[in-house]
Amino acid sequence: MYLFRILITAVLLAVTLINTKAQTINPSHIGTAKGILRDTVHNYVLKSATVSIYKAADSTLLSYQISNNYGEFKFNNLPVNLLLKVEISHVGYQALSKKFTIPAAKNLLDLQTMIVKPRDISLQEVMISIPPVSMNGDTLEFNASAFKLDSNAVVEDLLRKIPNITLWGDGQITVNGREVKSILVNGKPFFGGDTKMATQNIAKNALEKIQVYNTIKNKSNPLDSTLEVNLKLKKGKDIGYFGKIGAGYGTNKRYESDLSFNIFSPKMEIALIGASNNVNKIANNIQALQSNSTFKGVGTNVAYQPDFRTSGLHQPNAGGVAFTYNFIEKPTYDKKNSLNSNYFLQNKNSENLYEAKTTTTLNNNEIITEKNSRKTNDVSTNHKFDSKYEWVKKNKSLNISQYLTVNQGETNSGSFRAAENGQNILTSTNNSINQSNYKNTSFNLFANYVLGQNYMKYNQRFKGFNATYNLTVNENSAQRLNITEFKSYTDPGANKNFNRKYDTQSEGINQQIDVELPNIKSIIFGNSKLAGIDFSITNNLNINHNKDHNRVKDLDEASQNYQNNDYLTNQIQTNVINETTGLNIKKTFSKSLSNRFNKDLSFNLSPNQQFIYQNNQSDRSFQNIKRSYSQFLPNATASYVHYQYGDFYKSYRLNYTTTLHIPTIYQLAPLTDSTNLYALQKGNVNLKAALEKKIHFSYSHTDQTNKNTLNYNLNFSAGTIKNNIVDSVLIDDQNRRTIYLVNADGHKYINFYGSIRKAIKLKTSEIQVSLNTSINSSRQPGYTNDVFSFSKNFNTNTALELNYTYKSDLALVLGESFSTYQSKQEAFNTEYSGKTLTTTLRSSYNITKKLTLNNIVSFNSSAAAATKTVNFTIWNANATYRFLKGNNAEFKFSALDLLRENNSIINYGNANGFTVGTQNVLEQYFMITFSYYPRQFGKKGVKK
Amino acid sequence: MKLSLNLKTALCTFFIYVSFYSPIIAQSSKIDSSAMVTLRLDPGSARGAAVSQVFEEVSFIPLETTKESLFGSISQLEVTEKCFIVYDYDTKSILIFSKAGKFKAKINSSNIKDEKGKEAQSFWGFSLKQENHEDFIQINSGKYSIYFDLNGKLAKKVQSKDDKPDNGLKFADKTQIVEGYLDKKDKDSIYYQVGLVKDSNEVAKYLPYKADRFKNDQFYSGGNPFYDSGIADELFFLNYYEYNIFKVTPKKMLLAYRIIFPAINSLPADFAANPVYKNKRQEYFEKYPKAFYAISNTYKIGDQLFLKMHNWDHSKENKNALIYNLKTTALISVNGIEPDSSSFFLPVTDLGFYYDFSNRGFLKYDKKYFYTSYSSLAMFAFKEQSADKKPKYNALMSNYFKTENRKSNPVIIQLKPKQD
Repeated sequence: MYLFRILITAVLLAVTLINTKAQTINPSHIGTAKGILRDTVHNYVLKSATVSIYKAADSTLLSYQISNNYGEFKFNNLPVNLLLKVEISHVGYQALSKKFTIPAAKNLLDLQTMIVKPRDISLQEVMISIPPVSMNGDTLEFNASAFKLDSNAVVEDLLRKIPNITLWGDGQITVNGREVKSILVNGKPFFGGDTKMATQNIAKNALEKIQVYNTIKNKSNPLDSTLEVNLKLKKGKDIGYFGKIGAGYGTNKRYESDLSFNIFSPKMEIALIGASNNVNKIANNIQALQSNSTFKGVGTNVAYQPDFRTSGLHQPNAGGVAFTYNFIEKPTYDKKNSLNSNYFLQNKNSENLYEAKTTTTLNNNEIITEKNSRKTNDVSTNHKFDSKYEWVKKNKSLNISQYLTVNQGETNSGSFRAAENGQNILTSTNNSINQSNYKNTSFNLFANYVLGQNYMKYNQRFKGFNATYNLTVNENSAQRLNITEFKSYTDPGANKNFNRKYDTQSEGINQQIDVELPNIKSIIFGNSKLAGIDFSITNNLNINHNKDHNRVKDLDEASQNYQNNDYLTNQIQTNVINETTGLNIKKTFSKSLSNRFNKDLSFNLSPNQQFIYQNNQSDRSFQNIKRSYSQFLPNATASYVHYQYGDFYKSYRLNYTTTLHIPTIYQLAPLTDSTNLYALQKGNVNLKAALEKKIHFSYSHTDQTNKNTLNYNLNFSAGTIKNNIVDSVLIDDQNRRTIYLVNADGHKYINFYGSIRKAIKLKTSEIQVSLNTSINSSRQPGYTNDVFSFSKNFNTNTALELNYTYKSDLALVLGESFSTYQSKQEAFNTEYSGKTLTTTLRSSYNITKKLTLNNIVSFNSSAAAATKTVNFTIWNANATYRFLKGNNAEFKFSALDLLRENNSIINYGNANGFTVGTQNVLEQYFMITFSYYPRQFGKKGVKK
Repeated sequence: MKLSLNLKTALCTFFIYVSFYSPIIAQSSKIDSSAMVTLRLDPGSARGAAVSQVFEEVSFIPLETTKESLFGSISQLEVTEKCFIVYDYDTKSILIFSKAGKFKAKINSSNIKDEKGKEAQSFWGFSLKQENHEDFIQINSGKYSIYFDLNGKLAKKVQSKDDKPDNGLKFADKTQIVEGYLDKKDKDSIYYQVGLVKDSNEVAKYLPYKADRFKNDQFYSGGNPFYDSGIADELFFLNYYEYNIFKVTPKKMLLAYRIIFPAINSLPADFAANPVYKNKRQEYFEKYPKAFYAISNTYKIGDQLFLKMHNWDHSKENKNALIYNLKTTALISVNGIEPDSSSFFLPVTDLGFYYDFSNRGFLKYDKKYFYTSYSSLAMFAFKEQSADKKPKYNALMSNYFKTENRKSNPVIIQLKPKQD
């Protein structure tokens, strides 16, 4: 097995290396060309002119520069002894072109002063040639038509061709090393704003230019800004459609089909999507389907692949419509008016098989093992309708959004559980069959209005306000049948059978009203400085109303009729009013030096007072509980930002929060359903509220240099919970568990999360390395059979990813992830541990322009203490071939789980036990898929 | 022909003037426009020139960087015989350097204590005052007016209300120019943009406005309204939203130059008066970013008229600082002044690359030299770009490049303009 893995790795690497070697230019034959540009009419040196170098033979763009302050340009790394062409262009000047060769003997050519002539205004229409890049004010523009590409190229292919623009393996785009924060199309987000929707669909030929500019202009610091990219479409190309229709069929009756059709015009966007498969490709929203149906294809991205990790077998069918209307054709940051609506319908059939073994330690060092085998079938239909309206005008903004979801379905499950004692002797079994029909409806309305400060009226004492209203209405109903048989092998008298019917209805209304008055200093104290201290007031009010009505019936063995269960049949209403009033006191110390650095230290103190009133009214008198809580919740934040121009940006943040967790009625006084003898839930009317105190520290470093950036961030949090609501479990020798809830002190936790990213751009290839680590450690109090014990848990998760891309031909991703868990019970002197290791190698290789080969191999190893290590390898591969004139058709052959080893491993630990097992997964199949990509940019008649 | 043109424009100006101010009935003095000259300036046609063609003399004076003297940028500069006095907004301090750039002293609020030993309030600039032929740096801090000598030593501290108001400009005959002049005899509290007062007697008053106008409208200017006209006892004055350069003398105000820019760079003729633009000026500038909303930095040196224009378009290629030769009509763009050996191939302003010159223009003109500055960040970038030219730096600059770095203090550039 091991040998086989090494073999696969070797083959994949060999392909890479051979390919890389074949296309590397010999670096010893490079030369330099330089020159000065001058406008002799105006007696100017020409600054900011575009100088482009092409291979004279085929006009391939080799490099470009913008002339400097002295009108000079200088290119290193040009080929020698080869006829080259230099082209000069600048707004308002006639283009100038000159052919030259750098002699190999000297490796240097001085083109000296090149005279550029101002363009006659009357000749403005005549463009001799379009420069690949130009400066238009402070906007860097790349002109699409200057780049010669395959007629089927998309924007992404163009981006790869532009020197200085980098597309990283993880989807990030950088220009001269700086990250692009957003991509717009004609000034607007394109179909929801996912970068891929624009870059992988829009035909390069529909594009006029790519504009790169800074969105925040801070004049005192020319280096401080955010990069934004706008894709400006050619005139008449701002209307069109694109999409995908595809279907595939394979062995084991596997099938998949998907449809994505998108229409756009200057103000409107409509998307239609649909998908159906039985290969675990589950899309839960329209955007997921859209972004995985792009013309460019998914490459090494694994977002919407048949998921071999997903447990269970799923057959999802989905469809939907997305609609966006921009009332303003060219929105700006302070002027927006748009409406977006989506409807999504999903129907899903799922089958889950679960087989696991849980080992639990009791106080007397006795071990109980529970074997659980469960089969669940679920058929569900989900509707979601949501819309969003956004309006921004100057310092005012209004956001209204709404969603309505309806989930309806039927679940059938059977579970077979058996308990054994430490001597492997069967003590009890608990088998049950559940059948339920459910319908859940949820409606949400969100509205937010912000009145910001009017900077034109800086003297105004009222600086604005921020108000949010959020309404959620839920209505859930379910009819359920439970047939359970508990059998004791040590005490036959304890045997129990249940045949119970449930009809449950619940209604909930939740209203949240948040109001904030920022900068109130000026309202109260006018223009006085108050040592730079500012205040804001916040008020958060939450009103929650819940009504549950449960009707429960048991089968009467004698009469074979269902009789009312007077204990469980109940009506209960809960009203909770949660009011938090807070004051926020802020003081910032700033230190800055023009063109050097900027340092800000700020302190934020928020004393909040929270009042909670909980009123429960039930048919059962012991559930008629009224409670009120009042708690002082101090929060505080200290943050420090350090910015050294052109060097780095560092940010530190230390935060202290207190949170109150109140017990619910189901924790205080539940009605205990006795059908699940392996987990009988009891309440505790004496429960107090738990108070959590938490400290969080974060640190981030952002590189501001232009090359090979290194960025990292660290997060650290620690906390304690006083009066935490914990389980007190009574387990008998037959694994019957009664769970009481008690308050216990001493809950502590420490969590760490860190990530590092390093990007290295080589001449023709790119490498990106990222490392993520999370470490969680906690000490949880709890009782097992009345013995108090702390459970010490320690979990880690580390993932390393290495991305390598060579031109646009090869993408290689090597991923390594390692996770561990450890759980120790001091009182019982027990310890559990386990680890999982996964190595993934993904590759995508374009053999020809039309033929692409993709491979995904992952090696998995899962080990738990005292059990055998499980190893398995999943190897998926596919070959795609594009044809027709516009590459509009695709034929794909996929081979999935080539090694027939797929497995889904359960391996985790908890307070006083651990669980190992397996779940059913997708297994080997082969599939042939055919897809067609209809696309049109611009109206048909005007297509050129 | 020229005369008739002048007459026509004078009438036109007069008409604008009347329509402009007619809502306010006030006894303002009449602006003399008989000697007005119309200048047509097209920034697009401005030419470049070598540094040595524009300036007779160029000196770079790096300001010494020590732990104490480290500051951000120069937001105000005064030049005396022996020193440079700098106000830095970042550190809210005044720094005194010798003419060679050597650090002498620093004044900030932490070294001014009141009677109770409490630190004084921050101050936002300073004035240079002369008493008994000695220069003093005067600041306003809280209730006090505090005087320092040029070594940074505290000279005296008086209550602001007791300090003789000596702010504002004065002519040799002691006639004072009062900006925002309030004629106490007027019943309606009408202010005048320019008032001339001699021995507490009103000589003339021009351009009336109501006290609340700044509350009800938006006013954008290019900075200081008064500049050196190159002639003793004559000052240039600039008004909001017009391209006229007025001349103020001890006796009266005259319209000296009326500038006409290309249509694309011009505001509508009735921009200041027409109520449709009231409080909508910013929107107008956003919509027409090429239109000049103000002019500033108007200096006349010999035959050369220096001026800067301001618009919403912050493109680095804008030719918004010009030098116009009144005799030859040659127009030079400051942006196009090309470094040569006289400036060690270093640019004489940071225009087009950084923002010191575009934000502030020339920091000072002392009747002999112009002064501007840029950051060491800019200086080291320019040095890198000009390395190929093998410049021969003087000892001061060689030493600066050797011992300093991108984070050092800014460099002052002292330029002596040619007269013709």
